[in-house]
Amino acid sequence: MTESGFTIDIDQNQFLTEGGRDVSAIVTVTSAADATGFSGTGPAGGQTGSAEIIIIDCSGSMEYPHTKIAEARAATAAAIDVIRDGTWFAVIAGTNLAWPVFPTDGRMAVADPGSRAAARQAVAGLRAGGGTAIGQWLGLARQIFTSSPASLRHAILLTDGKNQHESQEQLAAAISQCEGVFSCDCRGVGTDWEVSELRRISTALLGTVDIVPDPAGLAADFAAMMQTAMGKQVADVALRVWTPQSATVSFVKQVAPTVDDLTARRTSRNPQAGDYPTGAWGPGESRDYHVGVEVTPAGIGQEMLAARVSLVASSPAGEEILGQGLIRAIWTDDEALSTKINSRVAHYTGQAELAEVIQEGLEARKQGDEETATAKLGRAVALAHQSGNEDTAKLLAKVVDVVDVDTGTVRLKQQVHDADEMALDTRSTKTVRARK
Amino acid sequence: MTGGPAEAGGICPTCGEPVGATDSFCESCGTELAPAVISTASPGYTPECPVCSVDPAATPGAISAEGYCESCGRKVPSGRDHAELDLGLLAGVTDRGLRHSRNEDAMGLATAATPGGQVAIAVVCDGVSSSPRPDEASLAAAQAAVRVLLTSARRGDDPAESSKAAVHSAHQALTTLSSPGESPSATYVSAVVSGDAVTVCWLGDSRAYWLPAGPDGTPARLTIDDSVAEQLIARGAMGEAEAMASPQAHVITGWLGADLSEPEPHLSRFEPVGRGVVLVCSDGLWNYRPGAAGLAELALPSALSDPLGTAASLVKFAIDAGGVDNITVVLIPFPPVSSATLPRRIAP
Repeated sequence: MTESGFTIDIDQNQFLTEGGRDVSAIVTVTSAADATGFSGTGPAGGQTGSAEIIIIDCSGSMEYPHTKIAEARAATAAAIDVIRDGTWFAVIAGTNLAWPVFPTDGRMAVADPGSRAAARQAVAGLRAGGGTAIGQWLGLARQIFTSSPASLRHAILLTDGKNQHESQEQLAAAISQCEGVFSCDCRGVGTDWEVSELRRISTALLGTVDIVPDPAGLAADFAAMMQTAMGKQVADVALRVWTPQSATVSFVKQVAPTVDDLTARRTSRNPQAGDYPTGAWGPGESRDYHVGVEVTPAGIGQEMLAARVSLVASSPAGEEILGQGLIRAIWTDDEALSTKINSRVAHYTGQAELAEVIQEGLEARKQGDEETATAKLGRAVALAHQSGNEDTAKLLAKVVDVVDVDTGTVRLKQQVHDADEMALDTRSTKTVRARK
Repeated sequence: MTGGPAEAGGICPTCGEPVGATDSFCESCGTELAPAVISTASPGYTPECPVCSVDPAATPGAISAEGYCESCGRKVPSGRDHAELDLGLLAGVTDRGLRHSRNEDAMGLATAATPGGQVAIAVVCDGVSSSPRPDEASLAAAQAAVRVLLTSARRGDDPAESSKAAVHSAHQALTTLSSPGESPSATYVSAVVSGDAVTVCWLGDSRAYWLPAGPDGTPARLTIDDSVAEQLIARGAMGEAEAMASPQAHVITGWLGADLSEPEPHLSRFEPVGRGVVLVCSDGLWNYRPGAAGLAELALPSALSDPLGTAASLVKFAIDAGGVDNITVVLIPFPPVSSATLPRRIAP
């Protein structure tokens, strides 16, 4: 581990055949398990440096069944109990409007036994009724977050329905205003919400998305999410990718623990370097990124630095380079070297394809295109099997009948529970880790 | 027997005081008078981008700490990519060649003026590409060995014994470089040339040749490779041409590295009968002209009077022939006689 508490490892085949242009590498970023290894922001535990907002859907549908709003209240209370002393926090209720539930003045409270009890009491009084305008909820969260000095800002958003009471443009605008301000984990309860809608929010705001089919599961899930959020210690970490003048970055994807394409999220730092957001980091975290660069070929025997990948933490005090790794290109006429495929690059290429074919297959199924759905989901079964992604294989088996795993021969099930289909969709991006 | 104590010495390059011709150190200030020279980047060498510095349209970028151009990303020559060493009594040239991204060969040269006459010393190491950090391995081995050989020659030690001591010291240097599971390795060949004998010591497939000046002598290889090809030839399984063409010709069976508990180098001693040249080289040269007679044709007679120029032209020959590997060529005219020449090094 370096002094910053982060390490960057590069895994690649640096050898290119004559005229080769495409350089591909897996970048593994790991933070020290020992929290004292961090040079990040705030005091130990990051308590005064972090802020949490819980956003609860209080639309009319939360009353059907009645247990939904009751479990949502209980889950919010469970999450509040996990918030550490000294953390800034607030609770928002959302319908076609949004309003602060606690504290009611639209600012943030500091967690202590008294404020947590008061928040639980306020949450117990929540009633359902009204529409759904998620952009409104996000906007209020952004406003409340900016009233606190905390740098680590995280929200939990719970909904049970589609965004019906505002336009797609309004929602998109709200999301983009929140980008870089706070991160957001999204949960859909029941099966009447839209996976793609929540995924848009969670992807833009560097969080997770998942389904909680049974409201009874909410409390444990909320407490776990809050627990994870409490562990974050370094905010606003970006992967900075430097490339030579004649090279371009083809893609930057997070590939473990989940697939998340960051390519379009580039912020240019100078003509040769751009930043890709990775959000906040806690101790002992490890994530893999797949970086592709297109270079101008040089002669046999020549070597080029195709990219320099740095991990950069930003704070009002300035930037700190937490670690660095080099992606190289060497042109060779030795085919034994240039044709060797790096096993981790291959593994994650497969995992990214797995997520893609599941989403495409489910979409085709929804459109009634059974042929495409069968082909895509069949390919997914084969990929999940080959890569040992058992969780995804199990989810697939609830949507298709597997005839032959090796060839990916499947039949679409005639009866599929909505919850199973949505679980497959939300969890399609979960990957299995390829170790060196 | 030629050589012997010279009549006049010179002056110390550091303090300017007169020094004796056979002195190893200045009596006034202690400066080492004829230190060994190694094929590292010369002092004051400034790396520059080979692409941007010759492109009028480009602005040459800074060179990063890792040795890359900050503008075009190209790996910048380290200074080891091409080095020429000239000690008068002997000279050597090493080059990256055309197909490797860096030069993993290294050489160390030295001269000693002893009461018994001049002694020329050369060590050539070729980093084993399949081992980690082969470039560091070859340099560390050459550096450690040439120092031992020089100190022993000044003391008048037996060249055979000092050659083994030098291998031991090079092995120690590689052990220092190694870490668990990592064993940087290199081939090794040394030549100690005095007025009456040539002592050669080696491990691996870097070679030494005797190239006689007159028509009476026979050019000869002085080393036997530690390689699969050589084993096939020795067993009579194949002829030389066939063995060298086999895919395993270059698989070496001996080397220097921390993965060997104690190296067992080969030694040979040879007493030339007339004038000639000792050629010490890596396989980057002999791949293209393995036979001693063929190499004698290329090197003679110019090597007798101009070892540096001839070493450079042999390197050029290998590059023109394909330059697939790193190339190192050292030439030592026999017998080693010349006016005392202070070491100088020529930057690329």
